[in-house]
Order: sequence, then structure tokens, then C-alpha cells
Amino acid sequence: MVEEILLADDFVRQLMSVGEVDVLVGIPSFNNALTIANTVQAVEQSFQLGFARQRVVLVAVDGGSGDGTRDVVMNARTEKSSSGRGLTSLRTEQRVVTQYANAPSAGLALRTILAAADLLRAKACAVVSPATPNVTTAWITNLLEPVYRDKFDFVAPLYNRHKYDGLLSRNLLYPMSRSVFGQGIRELHPSELGFSGRLASHCLGQDVWNQGDIQDAPEIWMALTAISSDFKCCQAFLGTKERGTAGTAPDIVTAVRQNVGSLFWCLDADENFWMQRATPEAVPSFGPQSELTTEPMNLNRQRIYELFRSGVQDLGPILETILASDTMAEIRSVTAQSEEKCRFSGELWARTLFDFAASHHHAVLNRDHLIQALVPLYRGRIHSFLVEHQDSTAQQMEADTENLCVQFEKQKPYLVERWKAKA
Amino acid sequence: MAVEAQPLWYKDAIIYQLHVRTFCDSNNDGIGDFTGLLQKLDYLQELGINTIWLLPFFPSPLRDDGYDIADYTSVHPNYGTLDEFRAFLTAAHERGIRIIIELVANHTSDQHPWFQEARSSTNNPKRDWYVWSDTDDKYKEVRIIFLDTELSNWAWDPVSKSYYWHRFFSHQPDLNWDNPAVFEAMWGVMQFWLDMGVDGFRLDAIPYLIEREGTNGENLPETHAILRELRRLLDKQYPGKMLLAEANQWPADVRAYFGDGDEFHMAFHFPLMPRMFMAVRLEDRKPIIEILEQTPQIPDSCQWCIFLRNHDELTLEMVTDVERDYMYDEYAKDKQMRINLGIRRRLAPMMENDRRRIELLTGMLMSMPGTPIIYYGDEIGMGDNVYLGDRNGVRTPMQWNGGWNAGFSGADPERLYSAVISNPVYGYAAINVESQRRTQHSLLAWMKQIIHVRDSTPIFSRGSIEFLRPSNHRVLAYVRCYENKQVLVVNNLSSTAQAVELDLQDYKGSIPIEMFGGNLFPRIGDASYLLTLAPYQFFWFRLRRI
Repeated sequence: MVEEILLADDFVRQLMSVGEVDVLVGIPSFNNALTIANTVQAVEQSFQLGFARQRVVLVAVDGGSGDGTRDVVMNARTEKSSSGRGLTSLRTEQRVVTQYANAPSAGLALRTILAAADLLRAKACAVVSPATPNVTTAWITNLLEPVYRDKFDFVAPLYNRHKYDGLLSRNLLYPMSRSVFGQGIRELHPSELGFSGRLASHCLGQDVWNQGDIQDAPEIWMALTAISSDFKCCQAFLGTKERGTAGTAPDIVTAVRQNVGSLFWCLDADENFWMQRATPEAVPSFGPQSELTTEPMNLNRQRIYELFRSGVQDLGPILETILASDTMAEIRSVTAQSEEKCRFSGELWARTLFDFAASHHHAVLNRDHLIQALVPLYRGRIHSFLVEHQDSTAQQMEADTENLCVQFEKQKPYLVERWKAKA
Repeated sequence: MAVEAQPLWYKDAIIYQLHVRTFCDSNNDGIGDFTGLLQKLDYLQELGINTIWLLPFFPSPLRDDGYDIADYTSVHPNYGTLDEFRAFLTAAHERGIRIIIELVANHTSDQHPWFQEARSSTNNPKRDWYVWSDTDDKYKEVRIIFLDTELSNWAWDPVSKSYYWHRFFSHQPDLNWDNPAVFEAMWGVMQFWLDMGVDGFRLDAIPYLIEREGTNGENLPETHAILRELRRLLDKQYPGKMLLAEANQWPADVRAYFGDGDEFHMAFHFPLMPRMFMAVRLEDRKPIIEILEQTPQIPDSCQWCIFLRNHDELTLEMVTDVERDYMYDEYAKDKQMRINLGIRRRLAPMMENDRRRIELLTGMLMSMPGTPIIYYGDEIGMGDNVYLGDRNGVRTPMQWNGGWNAGFSGADPERLYSAVISNPVYGYAAINVESQRRTQHSLLAWMKQIIHVRDSTPIFSRGSIEFLRPSNHRVLAYVRCYENKQVLVVNNLSSTAQAVELDLQDYKGSIPIEMFGGNLFPRIGDASYLLTLAPYQFFWFRLRRI
């Protein structure tokens, strides 16, 4: 029997006091006492500057912090825009804080925020991460305005990044989702996003909140649900994505497991949609184009290469179960090349991922193990990426990303064929 | 019944503001007069008010609705004679109604004999009664008040070939209060009316009496010195009389006009008024609480005057730019409704003729700290005509019945000083005193009731205020206290039903008794006190320990 998830009484009581709102911003937190005050201030200043007349609320949902994060949220003071007479915004500034669980869960946090949006009949919503140290007022406004004023339902962010940042998005999530679902959202697993109350209610009503596969990356599911359920999607430029505290980003195995697990689950859930989808559509973007920075960065390419080769060798029998024989053969020949010459082409990478997706669908082995087996191959792809782009300009990298997407789109019939074939 | 001698009578006053011209025409010349007003005193007594504030009725060219005065010690022939005014004054006092009149101290009409003399020659003894200059360069920091019509605070006088200073219309030259002769003359004016028996003065445009280079010409120390001297003379020679300041300023600046209880007895709380309208539209108590928290304490003998509407535009001078834009967008979408920095509409049209909202705002007016003022016609929900010039749209004839000229006058309709409101919604056929007298649950009947309830206790007129802050921001709740007695007021500012939990621990054990019906509500216990309110509903509870 599926366990029923109920909102805490105190949370419901706070929502009652708030009443209907026009704009809601959610902050999911866990042990963010050092940074969350800045996030709260950025949110409330965006309310004052961009939504002075609207009914607004900040909803902080906490996963059981032990460092006083909830108290920091309640006590954070926002500098008021000056009227010279101590007069501030038109409306009462609402701040709701709740603990949704005793341990952090991205899925449960998002669900709690969606529930608040649904109960308060919010028109425009955003989620902002307290771990992003440089979130600004403009970020929040840029996420909300396409929803509130232009009636979009989902807003994904665009960032300025270093060329070696966001490799999972650039090499896997983006080309795969664009080719399969037909809309190219660059940041499929963002820590900041915007959405409409309509989409929030729709997502809340889906029977997915007990699914383990999407708990760690529910934003991927939400974005792909928006696409597959015909909600209007767009992207909005926010700014430079600064890294959070060192050591807080997940390791590569965890990152692949969380993101790819969610992505593959969505492929299963929405197969009727993406099978019919032919031509990809452009996703409208607001604000300046995102840029890549290209300052030198030390990455241990040799180590990545060695982990690629050893991984393929160690997981050979497992990979043979997952991959088509010619895909496997081609990968073996890549591992035979020297570090300088080793190239995991875009076409091969597309076929590799589609083989994994189809095998995941057919559950040829334990799905979690299957996804973990992708890790060394992902390393191989990243190694090639680093070699090819060590001297690339931002423009060249963008062109290459576009080529990669085209490769994926060309291979989509291959995915469909493998998907439909008997295991 | 007669007015009782009581030094702090103004704290317990419920003031009815009217212009004699608008109220009742006894001689069928199309203009209201004092004899007609006297005939309507029974109505006002029945309504329950105890003070009338008369707008200017002095001889005047009437280019600013009588605020351009050509003779301070007479009555404009349109409105009657001095004797008729005396008769009205006597009749009002017999009914226990006090009379406040205007003292336009800052300026006169350019038709006033004083100005006519002053401009005739630079050597004239009254030359220095006004503020003259050879150039229009002085006092550059001073703002223009009538922005829609005036480009400068200086006007060229072709007669004396120099500039004269005017803070309002150019036909209203400012008096020079630096001249002791002006002070003596104006004190003489006050004595004239005080000797006749009027109970107080509303001093118009009081912040602007004095100007000094390098200042904004408002609220200067010299102005306060003048006012203190006037007050000293008043207290000495006419105890029990009242001075009411019209100072459209922020509360902290108005505070100075109370002095140490040695300047004005009362002053209008201008900034509160637009925020009451704002709070109802926003469905959020924040604007009200914020401005009242900024309102400084005043001497015990002093009182704020609070109001919803008056003869002028609903002023938006003392709000932020964001607030002003909001008010314009919500209450004055049609630009015809806007004048200067304000909105020239009446209460009922601004509330879209919603009886519930009219009652809610009136309820707040009657329950907040201060002496309330009812603008004539708002007790029956009169409408306005924004297509009349200046602010005349809120100064139309009183609507007494559905008959000839709304019962205001027997004259030909074309002769009326202003057309009667006649549209199907607010017109005199729909909105009039006679119809509402015959209807048990009319707005007029309700107004009488709320005045009666307010008058039943000194808590509203004399008490302190403590705001409760329930988590539901759509509810404005406060406790008024006076001499160990309390009244709990709860207002639902929202268009939807609301639940609110009030922390009434300080009043644990008290029984709330609803003041309109007299019914008991559950005793206050340990838990939060839960109330549910219909849209725009309010409660007044007497808290009784028994």
C-alpha cells in the first residue's frame, strides 16, 4: 500500500494565514545556515522591486537541518527600499517555514513547494537554491516574469558557465532530452526554476511521489512532464553559475545515477509522447545568451582516461548485456587507443546512451546497476570532450554541442527500434 | 438640550462637514443658505452628530469655492445675513450641536480690500500685509501645491508692477505673517466670531504662513510661534474653544502643531486616510498599521481628526510613489477622476456602491483613535460627478428626496448652483434621505446606529489603541482601552470570508459582548480566540469581566 504523504499541521496553518497569492518562491534547504539569509533577502527584494502590488509569499521547506537554518530564515532581515518615511511595500510580506521531513529529499521538498503553490492558487512560482552563493534579485525576477506576465508554464535557467562546468548537462541530459522529447532545455536539472501554478497542480496530481527513481532529481521529471503534457516552456538567462561550497557537489557516480535514473524513468513514463515526436522545436529564451568562460582549469585527463579503460574492462560482461554488439565493439576499439588519440565520438555516444535507455526499459539487469555501469563510458566521453576542447573557444564549443544534438536526433530511430524490440 | 461646557468636548465630537451652499435652499434662488440649514438641524440631531464644520461662507468671488475670502467678518449674500447665521448658531447650540467655522489665515482673495489697498501703492500702509518681490526668484525650494493650474508660486501684479507670493491659486495672495498688523487683524477676525458664539476654527493651510529663503516654506519655527500666540490668546479670553489644524503633512511633522498642548487642539491625520482605502483594496492591513505605528504620541489634551472623504480631492501627497500609482490605478482609472495629486470622488462611488465596504470603512473611521468627520451626503451614499470642474463633483446639492431638485431647492433646476446627481445609480431618485428614513435597514439607519454605538462609550474617543497581529494579514484587529475598560475591534478587509485566531491572553476571563446586538460571545480562555468573519464584516466587542 502506498504511504500517504500529508502536509504538517503547522504548515497548513501557516498557509491558511497567507491565503491566495499571485507569486510564490520556494527555497528547499538542508544545513544552509551560512548562505540562506542571502537567498531570503534576494527573494524579498525581488518581491519589492518586481511584484510590489502582487500577493507574494516565500516558502522555505527544510529537510531537518541541524545548524539552525530554519531560524535563520525566520530572522533574516531584508533591507527595505527607501521611501524616507519608513514606509515599505504595499502588502504584508509573507514568510512560511516548515520542516517537511527528518532527512533531506529533493522530491519531498519539491512536492511540499508544489503543494503550497496549489493550495494558495499561486499563479507564478519559482524555486531557488540556498546553496547558490550568488543568487540575485534579478535571477528571481527573470524566473517569475515569463510565467506571471507572459504565461509560460516552465522556465529553465540559462547560466554563464565555465566550459568545463555542467558537463553532464552538455553531454548527456541536454542532447538526450532534446532529441527524444523534442525540446532543448539546456539545464534539465537546475537548482533554480520557474513554473506556473497550473503546472504545479498538474505535477502534484501525478502518482509519482513515492517513486524512488525521481526523488533525487525531480526537476528533470518536472521539466520533461511539462514538455510531454504540452505546457509552454522557455529558458531565462540568470547569470554566472558560481559553485557552492567545495565538497557539496555529488560525486560522478551519484550524479550519473540520480540524473540518468530520473531521465530513463521519464522515458518509460512518457514513451507514448516521445515516440510520436518527430521534429524538435526551439525553446524560447529570455535575456542575453549564456556564455562560456574559457580560463584555464586543471582537470586530470589521464586519470579520467584510465578510469574509462579500466571500467570498460572490469564491466565488460555487464556492458555486453546492455549494449548492442557493434556498439560494444566500437567502444573496445576506443579503449585500445592511446590517451592522446582516444576519441569517443558523438555518434557512438548517442548509440551508447540509447542502448542503455532501451536496456533500462527492458530491465535487462537491475536498473540501478545498469545505470552505474554507464559511469566509465561517461568518463570516456568526457575525456574526449576535454581533449577536443582544450583550446576551443566558447563559440566552437557551442557549435560542437549543436553537432552532438544533431547526432542524437539522427539516432532517434535507432532508439525507437531498440525500445520496441524484445529484450 | 444645549451645548455643555466641557473643556475637552472636541475629543468626543462626531463632526459633520458641510458647505451651507450645498445643504438646503430656503429662498429658492438655487443656493443653499443658513435659514435652510437651520431647517435641517433636526435631521442632523437625529443622525447623532454633535458638531458641524462649516466650509467658508464669507463674501468671496468664489473662484476657489469660498476659500478666496474678500471679507472675513460677514456672510456672503448668497447664503444669508449675519443675523441668519446667528439664528442658525443659536438653534444649533439649542440642539447640543457645536459649530466650527473656517479661518483661512494663509491668504485672502485678491478682491479683499486689504489686497486692493496693498497693491495700490508701494507706500500704502497695508503694502506690507502681503509678500512682495521685484523678481520671482525667491524661495525656489518651495513646492507648488496646485500643480494642475499653477506654474509658479509668484504672480505678477500689473497694478503695482511687482510679484506677489501665493501658495495656492494666483488670485489668492498670501498674507505676510511676519507683519504684526496681520496677526492683530486676524486675531480681530477670530474675536468677531468667538464673541458671536462659534465653538472653534479650522485653520486652513496652516503650514505655509511663513516663508524663509533656503527652506521649503513649510512648518517653519516662526509659524509655530505665531500659532502658539494665537492659542495663548484664545485660552485666556475664550476658554473651551477649539483650534483644528489643516496641515497636510507626515504625522511626525504634524506633531509639532500640537506643541506641548499649547498650539492646536486637533489636527487632521491626512496620511491615514488614503491608507484606509488602500488596505481595503489590497485586502491587507499593512498600510494602516505602518502609518499608525509611525504616528507619534500627542499631548493628552490633543486629538487627531480622522476622515474618509471631504470637500477636497482625496489627497495622495503623503504617500509613496508606488502607493500613489496603486491608488490611481485602483480608484481613479479614468483620468477625469484625478486632480492635482489626488482623486476627486466620493466614498460610495469609490466603494463601487458596495454597502459592505462603505460600512467597513465607516466602522474603521468610528473605531480608530481620533475624532471622526462625516462628509455631508456620505451618510446616505451620495455619488459624485467627476465631469464638473475643479472639485465640484463632490460638492453637489444634498439629496433630500426623490422630488423637485432632490428636495434641495424650489428653484428652477437650471438655476441651481450645481446640477443634482441624477444617474440611475446615485441619482436623487435612488439615493435620498426620505427614502432611507422609510427603510429600516438603509445606510442612513445604519449610520445612525453606529454613531449611537460609538457615542455610548468614551473608549473610542478617549482610549488608547493596541494592535493585535494575527497571522491572517487580511484581518485588522485592535483593542481600545480607557479607564480599565476595553473594546475589541476586528475588521475583515477581504472580499472573502476569513477565519482569524486572536491572541487575547491579556484579556483572559473576559466575555466579549458584541456591541450592535448586545449578544454574548464565548469567554476568552487559554487558547487563541477563533473568529470567522463574512466578507468585509467587522465586530466591536466590549470586553466584560463578570
